[in-house]
Order: sequence, then structure tokens, then C-alpha cells
Amino acid sequence: MQPYQEEYIANIKDIAVLTARKKPGSHTFEEYEEELLGAVKQVEQKVLRNMALLRDKLFPDLDHLLESSPQELQELEDFAGSLLNGKEEWDIGLFCQIHQALLTHARLTKDRRRMIKELYWLGIGRYNLYNKLIGLSMPLVQNYISAMRLCFTEAAAYLKYFDEIDDSETKGYILRSLANISLGRYKTTGEKVQQVRKTLQILQDDEYHGMAPELPWDRFIYMTHQQMAASISYSKECPMTPQDITDIMESVYIVYQRRLQEATDRNELPPCRPAFSYYAIEYYCGLDTLDGLLTKIEHLMDTADTADFSKDSMYTLISLPAFYCQFLKQNPEMLLKREEYVESLYQRILDYMADFPENLQDETLFLYLRQLSNTFVETKNSISYGSFLLKLLVRFAPDTYIHSYTVGKTAVALCEIILSEEPTFFDDMEEIAEIEDMDEKRQEILGLAMNCGLFHDVGQINFLYLYSQTGRQWFAEESEMSQLHTLAGAAYLSERKSTFRYAAAALGHHSWYDGSRGYPDTYQRLDCPYRQIVDIIGLTDWLEETTATITRLYKGVERSFDETVETAISLEGRRFSPLLTARLRDKEVVNKLRQALREGRSEACRKLYREYSTN
Amino acid sequence: MGQNNMKNSNGYIVIEQRPDGKRQIQYADSDACTAIGLNPQTLPAMIPEQILEQLEATAVHFDANHVLLVLGPDAGQQIAELNRRNTVLEDALKDAEEVNKSKSRFLSNMSHDIRTPMNAIMGMTSIGLSHIDEKPRVHDCLSKIQTASSHLMSLVNDVLDMSRIDSDRMTLNEDIFSLADLIHDISVIVRPQAAQKNQTLQIEIGQIYEESLLGDALRLRQILVNIIGNAIKYTLSEGEIQVFFSQRPYDAGQASDQTSRIWLDFRCKDNGIGMSEAFLKRIFVPFERVHNDITSKIEGTGLGMSIVKNLVERMDGEITVESEEGIGSCFNVSLPFRVVSQNKKSLELPENSTILIAGSHGSLVAQISGYLRESGLVSVCMESGVQAVTWLTEAQYESHMPCAMLLSQELSDMSVLDLASHVRQLAGRDFPILLVSEQDWAQLEYRATRAGVNAFVPCPLFKSKLLETLTELTANGQGNNTSCGDQSKDLSNYRILLVEDIELNQEIAVELLSVTGIGVEVADNGAQAVEKFGAAPEGYFDMILMDIQMPVMDGYEATRQIRGMDRPDAKSVWIVAMTANAFVEDIRRTREAGMNEHISKPVDPDRLKEILYTQFG
Repeated sequence: MQPYQEEYIANIKDIAVLTARKKPGSHTFEEYEEELLGAVKQVEQKVLRNMALLRDKLFPDLDHLLESSPQELQELEDFAGSLLNGKEEWDIGLFCQIHQALLTHARLTKDRRRMIKELYWLGIGRYNLYNKLIGLSMPLVQNYISAMRLCFTEAAAYLKYFDEIDDSETKGYILRSLANISLGRYKTTGEKVQQVRKTLQILQDDEYHGMAPELPWDRFIYMTHQQMAASISYSKECPMTPQDITDIMESVYIVYQRRLQEATDRNELPPCRPAFSYYAIEYYCGLDTLDGLLTKIEHLMDTADTADFSKDSMYTLISLPAFYCQFLKQNPEMLLKREEYVESLYQRILDYMADFPENLQDETLFLYLRQLSNTFVETKNSISYGSFLLKLLVRFAPDTYIHSYTVGKTAVALCEIILSEEPTFFDDMEEIAEIEDMDEKRQEILGLAMNCGLFHDVGQINFLYLYSQTGRQWFAEESEMSQLHTLAGAAYLSERKSTFRYAAAALGHHSWYDGSRGYPDTYQRLDCPYRQIVDIIGLTDWLEETTATITRLYKGVERSFDETVETAISLEGRRFSPLLTARLRDKEVVNKLRQALREGRSEACRKLYREYSTN
Repeated sequence: MGQNNMKNSNGYIVIEQRPDGKRQIQYADSDACTAIGLNPQTLPAMIPEQILEQLEATAVHFDANHVLLVLGPDAGQQIAELNRRNTVLEDALKDAEEVNKSKSRFLSNMSHDIRTPMNAIMGMTSIGLSHIDEKPRVHDCLSKIQTASSHLMSLVNDVLDMSRIDSDRMTLNEDIFSLADLIHDISVIVRPQAAQKNQTLQIEIGQIYEESLLGDALRLRQILVNIIGNAIKYTLSEGEIQVFFSQRPYDAGQASDQTSRIWLDFRCKDNGIGMSEAFLKRIFVPFERVHNDITSKIEGTGLGMSIVKNLVERMDGEITVESEEGIGSCFNVSLPFRVVSQNKKSLELPENSTILIAGSHGSLVAQISGYLRESGLVSVCMESGVQAVTWLTEAQYESHMPCAMLLSQELSDMSVLDLASHVRQLAGRDFPILLVSEQDWAQLEYRATRAGVNAFVPCPLFKSKLLETLTELTANGQGNNTSCGDQSKDLSNYRILLVEDIELNQEIAVELLSVTGIGVEVADNGAQAVEKFGAAPEGYFDMILMDIQMPVMDGYEATRQIRGMDRPDAKSVWIVAMTANAFVEDIRRTREAGMNEHISKPVDPDRLKEILYTQFG
């Protein structure tokens, strides 16, 4: 790799550390706050440095790509390889950008060998992007799945010419691409199983083995069985045919036996993931009841080592509970006698997250946390869904938490100003209009404003790599993807009793007042009874985001508070409600908001300080 | 009763039957008195039974106690005639009363129907005025006013049409029209209405012999939209409406110029609320509407079907309707049209050329496939995106790429635009990709062209449209590595200023551009570009491809200086940034500097040509 590439990666790693939770230790709050601000400044410097490195070095390299020597191309490959590899994910956006350029180069130079390889890696990049979209409905993620699948499909199509291809590496890419076509969601389990079945048939075909005996066929076959076994994870949603169950069962058995043998050889307990698949397929075959399956899962979770932060343990302690809760969500009658267990389960997960080492935050953990958030079950005495989400933000996205808290506080300040002039301003909301006692009404509105602020960006949990860890400004595709945080947030919040009232703010806070721009399309302001509060969150989010957080660097927008207020007024009636911007003409109001922003940030830091001191 | 009717009569006697069983003359006219020898002054008188029995008379019973005797030999006939006339008059009275009632009902309905949109217009205007500072609220009010106004206009138009028909002032125009275009237009009008009610609206075509017809397309459209619109109105949500068009030859002996005429048959069948037998008889009567709880909420004048019937008759056509309450209705319309003989464009693709069809919509794929086969082309059908890409990759490897890919409405595994986007990369810029869809192209165009779709063929699919578009596209396309020859769209009338500092990149770009025939002049840096543009006559350059990072002067500054020149083309010339800088801010900066578009480096030739053809194609 070239020195600038190494520097870029070192900067990203530093940024990951700087943006992670910082325990206060023996620091006073003032020292702690100063440390946080210092960290933000360092992040800003590193982001700017990385952008300069890309502008001065990488982009000119891509500019001259057609003149590049094979060695320079290889260096780019290596650079991309260190941005995303099997273990770490440092910059998936740049990874895709480089491989897209290399693919175009390969197509232009008609270098088929490199084309296959680049298609494979681009497919891998897109698969990782797709993984951020857990919790979103199929139509929203379909184009990400298609983009990934078509890369693998095109590379796999060269299987027909397997015997004409003379290097093992390319043959390996073809086979791996073939197996990866089945990655991601399908409309039905049957389609997915059919695709994996087709891959297995090819991988087990002696004729292909004969054409490339040097390839690790056993490993390919085993990994494909793993994929088949993983089909179990969403099979309940789509009924399976007997043939599908048979195929999955066979793969589950093969994977389980092998992992069991490996564990026995190492004197370890059998690994959890294949054991779960094994138990689940028994249930699907009718060999066990759901109650039996749930009891077995409980046993797996209970025997996990909560001091172990390996991927296997993370799976058992975070991902498996997600599957467990999914079963309970689908079969609520099973929840009754398990409420107490669920309550202790969530507590155990929260404790585990609190103890999680700072430097061990990897994408697998976030993937499992997204699964857990998506299948969360609320019970009478368990932690509420809202509190759970806030704990996630506090633990893994402190910057987003500070921003959200500040937006909430500023929204409260603005609501107070409005209520003092127009007590019925929020009466579009039926539940507010019904409250006759003005003090009670005021408290209700202020509480709602605070919570809408706290939860408006909760969808960013899906895109932490963009909001908290990106070591540079976003690319256009990333900017587009980040917009999905509104839909993801609304999807999380709208499904649970304790949070559904905040879903509108999560959905609509980037939508323009006149509907002409902004996102997403699904937010229809005039149809939304919460529109006034959504307008307020939209404005306070804008005031906070463009003046305080690191996100402004990612988005390439930077303004002072006064400039932001001025711009907001200039967007009156278009982006922002004239009922709100009218108030921004009042200096006293502006000063109150400025103060609310400042105090909000400080309060949020203090909350983190307290939280981290006790955990 | 006129005197003429009585000329053969010998008189009348009215007899009353008394409670004691005796009969008494209540009245007798002078002829009757003479005939039976009574003194008119002595009435009422008892009449001897034998006299009554001898009278040649016909009895008409008024009621149980009174009988009218009409004396004379042909009195029976006279009475029958009287009865018939009475019936005719009674019917006429009933009809007049019914028409009067209908008109009253119409006036009442019209008053209601006019008042409803008028209320909306007035109400919305007042709401809009009171929220004048809230743009979305005002916008919402205005769009509701627009809807209400157009409804009001259609009410008035219906009434005017009916009045024209009544006064025989309606004339039909004769112009050449394309049946394909007409059906597509209708489809674009009615589909959104059906979609709003989540109805399934199938518009299909059968055997079509001639697409260019001579007739009044506007009135034909009025007939068809009215019938389909009614089907949508009177079918509940989630219901089904099937529309079918076909043609049949004009029967021998129907016209002297039978060879130049053809019947257009149209059928519209729905599973809506249907009509009672009684209403079915009155369906074409003006102002009649089905009345029940469901229809009371549906707006309409009750004139539509009457206008349709009149128009069909004026076109020498026929209209029939079958309907059953609760089951649905089926309208059949047959209209004769004169055929316009036109020189049909011949398909310029070599016989046995291959076309890839990607789509999972069975009947549409079969239809496309059938049309291609009839034209001597070979179609390969793939129902999923994965299958299509696999097949194309193999075809490319074996150098037998198809002439084009036709995307049907849907695929089993992904959206057709996702597939188009990948195939555009895989197969290159010149590979024709056509989209066959029932959606409105105006709404699809932006996303579809961005994904790499070159052309659109509307549904319901007409063979001529499909082949015409295919011919046009394959004739224009580069056809690199395809079995369709090697042709390219000629852009030699255009000139580009290529601003690029790296020699190799210059060479590659010039090479890429030369295929199109476009004139290329090169500048090595921004300063040179400014100089060359400034020295060239106005309108000389049609586009500038501007590198960003260059020595002497970068692309941003060069663009700013060009845009700042005091000449009209400085503002309008299309400037495309070519840069590897991919941050959102970089793209914004290119726009802020005055560039229109952005292309990533290394320059993808397909993307470059896409920009050229979009601008000049």
C-alpha cells in the first residue's frame, strides 16, 4: 500500500476510537466535557485530513486509472482490501468506489479475469451495504439486493467456461460468486433454498472438481451448507415445502456435526449457532414443539459466557435473543409464561453491552443489535422499547445521543415560546385537544417534544458507520442511503406501544414544509396529526445539525448559528413552517434557542458522564 | 270525443242497475230516444227488458252499476278504436310525465351536482384565503379547487353535448388517427382512476388488422372513456374490469367500398354493482341513473350513456349492454371505420436476429414473443433478472449478443430498472434496451432513462409500435458485438470542446467520441478552454467536457469564466464535469460553478455516450 493509504486507514481507526464511548474514570464532569470536545475536534481534523488525502492522492489516481501500471492497480486492490475484509469493516463506501472504478477499468480493457474478480468484490461491498438495511421492508431494500446479486450473477455466469479459464484464483471467484447469489433476502424461502441447492449440486459435481482439483472444494461445500442452514432464520415467515425442509435439514446436520466435532477436539462446548439451527429444523419438521424449541434456546442463552466478546458469544447473547423474541412476537400466546424470562434476558443483554470493550465495536455487533431492535418484545415489567433504544444510542452512538437530546431540549424551548402565545397551537393532535387543564396540556406537549427529539434519529442505528464512524465526507450514494434512516426509525418506533407517538417525527423531520423536496415521499404533512411537532423537530434538528455535530462535515454543510437562522428564514414556507420561522425574526426567541442548544449539549454530556460513570 | 267518431252511431244510453234489480235509463241522447221511442222529457224511466234485448248495441261497463249502450251495427269497432286511442294518449301522457319527472330529477340532480363542486370551490377558496401564508395548505386548496372545477366543466360539457345532439347540431370529424395511440391515451386516462380504487383494470387487444383509421378520434375516445369510466365508477374497490379491443372485416355487401372499411369491436366487462332489468331498458334515456345507496355518492349527470348511444348511432355503429344486479355489466360497442392505407415501415432487422425478452408476465411475454416470431425474429425469454444477466454474460462471451433486450413489466426477482441498470454496464451504451409497460411513460421516464432504458413501448402492445421502436433503436444503435450489424447514431452536426490535461485520457475520449461522428476540439487546461470558447463563433460548441483538476486553471474556474462571458451561448452551453472527486460537496461545487452534469472518472464510455445521446439524440 502507498503511505497515504496507510495514513487514511490509521485515521479511520483513530476516529473509531475517538467516537466510541469514553468512560470518565476519575475525571470531573468539566474535565470530561472538555475531553469530549477535544475528541470531536480531533475527529474533525482527521476527517479533513482524510478528505485531503483522497482529493490529493486517490482521486487523481482514479483519474489516471487507465495509465496505471499493474502494480498501481494492485495497490488499489490492497487498499480496498484493508478497508473491508472478513474481520473488519473500515470504509465500505470507499471500498465500493474503488472496486467500481477497477471494474470499469477491467471492462474497458476487456480483462475478463479482473472483471470477474472485481464483480465479486463489488458484490461483497454491496452485500455489506445491504446488511445495514435490516428492519426495512423489501421494496425499500430491493435495489440494494439486486445490485449485489447481479454482480455475483454476472461473475458466476462464467461457470459455463470453467474449463477455458486457466487460473485457479478466477475459478475460485466464479464459484464464490455462484454461492453468494443466494445471499440477502428472497421473496420466499423456497427461492433461496432452490438457489443454494443449485450451488451445492455444482460444487458437488466431480466434473468441476476435475477441472480445478487444487480448489478448496470441501470448504466451498461446507460454507454453502452453512448458507443453507441459515435459510432457517426467516423460514417461518414463508412456509417451506417438504423438499426445502429436507435440504435445510441435511445441511444443518452436516454443519452441526462438523462444528460439534471441532468443539470436541478442542474440548469446548458445542457452538451455539449450528445448535440453534439444529433445534429449529427439528421444530419445523414437527419433531419438537415451539415450547420445546424455546426452552432449548433459553438453555443456549443461559449457558453463554457473558464475559466472552467473541463473535460466537455475541451471536448467543444478542442475535439468538432476537430470534427467540421473533418467535414470541409471532406466537404471543407463548409470551405469557415467559414474560419474566424476557425481562431478565433484556437486562442481561444491557449488562453485556455495558461491559463490551470500547475497541471491539465491529459491524457484526451492530448487525446483531439491529436484529434485536427489530424483534424487540415489550412486556409489562421489561425495559420499555424506547429506553432500550436510548441505551443503544448512549452506548454505541454517543454523538447521535448528544444531538438527539439537544434537539429535544431545543424543541421543548420552542414549544414553550409557542404555547405562551398560542395555547391551542398543537390541538391538531386529538389527544392534546382533549386535555382541558392547560398545565397538563403544556406538560404533555413538552414531554412529547422532548421524546420526539430524543427518538427522531433513532433510525441512525442502522447507519452508524455513516453517522459515527465515517472518516471522510459522504459520497452521493451514501448520502442517498443515509436518507433511509427516517424510514428505519419510523419502522422501529411505530410498532411498539411505548414509542409509536414519536414515529412521525422520525419519518418526517427531513421533509420540506411545502412537500416540494426533502425525504421520504411517504411522509404526507397535511395528513399527519403530529405535523406541528414534526415541523418543530425538523427546524431544531437543522439548527443543531448544521452548527454543532460532526455530521455537517460528512454532508459538506457548515454554518454558524446566526447564518443557520438566517437561512432558515430564507427558506420560510418552503423548507420550514412560516408559523415557526416567523418566531425566528424575534431576537429574544433566537437567543433562547441558542441558549437551549448550548445547554442541551451540556446536559447531554452530563447524562453520558453519569451513565458511563455508573456502567 | 269528436263528432267524426260518431258518424255511424244510432245513439247512446246509460243504464243504471238499481238495488232492487230493476234497470233504469239514466241518460239517452236524442238518437237513442228516437230509436227506441222514448220521450227525452220523461227520463229517467224504467225500460222494458224486451226492448233492451232487441236493441242492436254494444255494452260498455263503466262500473258494477252502470252500463253504456252504444246503439248501431258497428258500435263494437268504434269502441275498440276509442279504447286504443285512449291507451295511446294515456301512454303519451305517462311518457310526458316520465320525461318531465326525469327532467325535474335532472334539474334537481344537476342543482345538487353543480352545488357540490361549487361548494368545494367556495369552501376551499375561503380556507385558502384564511391560510394564505401556509403554502402547502393553499396548494392543497388549489388542487381541490382544480379537481372540483374540472368536474364542473365535465358536467357542463355533458349538458352541452346532449343539447347539441337534441338539436342535431353535432357533427363528426374525419381525421386519420392511430388506434395504438388512442388506446394508450385512454389507458393513461383511466388507469389512475382504477388504481385509486385498487381495481384490476385489464386492457387487452385481440386481432388488429389496421391501426391507421379514419374517423372522429375525439368522439371515439369520449365513447370509450365514458364506458370504462362508468365501469370504474360502478365497480367497488378491488373489483375487476376487463377491456378488450379487436377488429373484424366489414361484411360483404355492407358497403360498396367494403375493402376499405373495418369494424372496431370494443368490450368492457366489469364485476360491479350491475343494473336491474328495469333500469337496463332505460339506460340510454337521458338523465337516467341507477339509484341506490352506493350510487348516491357517485357523481354524474345521467347523460353519459345517452351521449354514448347517440354518438355510436351517428357513427353507424351498434351498442349493446348486458347486466345483472350484483354481478356486473358488459358493454359491447361495434363501430365501422374507414381504413387508411399507409406505407408501413419495414423491419430493418435481419431475419432470425435474436431479441432477449426479460419478464415474468406470462401473457405479455407471449404476446411480444408472438409479434417477434411473426416478423421473422427469434426471441429468448427469461423470467428473472438473474437468468437474464447469466444469459447475456454467456452471449457476450460467445460474441452472439442479441439485437436488443425487451423488458416486460415485471421480473420474478427484481425490478426491471435494476436489471436495466446492470445490463447497461454489462452490455455497453449501444445495446438497445426497451421497456414495455402499461405505466405512464411521463412518470417513468426520469428513472428509466437513468437506469439505461433507451425507449418505451406502451401497453396494450401493438405489433407496429413494437417493431417501429425496435427498428428505430437498432438502426441508431452501435450494435457492438451484436448480431445486428455495426451502426451508430450520427452526431456529426455537433461539436464538443474536450478539456483534459492528460494525453492518454484525451486520446481515449476522442476515440470514444469519434464513433458517434461528433466533432471534437481539445483544450489542455481550463485557461485554454476559456480562450477557445471565447474565440469561437456563437453556438460553435454544443457541449464542453470539463476535467476538474488541471494545471494552469482548474475546471471550476474555467466554467465560472465561461459562464461569465457576455454572449448568449455562454449561459446555455452544456458543461459536463469529468472528475474522480466523488464527495457530495464536489458534486455540489461543480453545480455551483455552473456545470450541468457530473461524470465519474475513469470515464465509463457508456455513461459518456448516454449523456451525448440524451443531449443530442
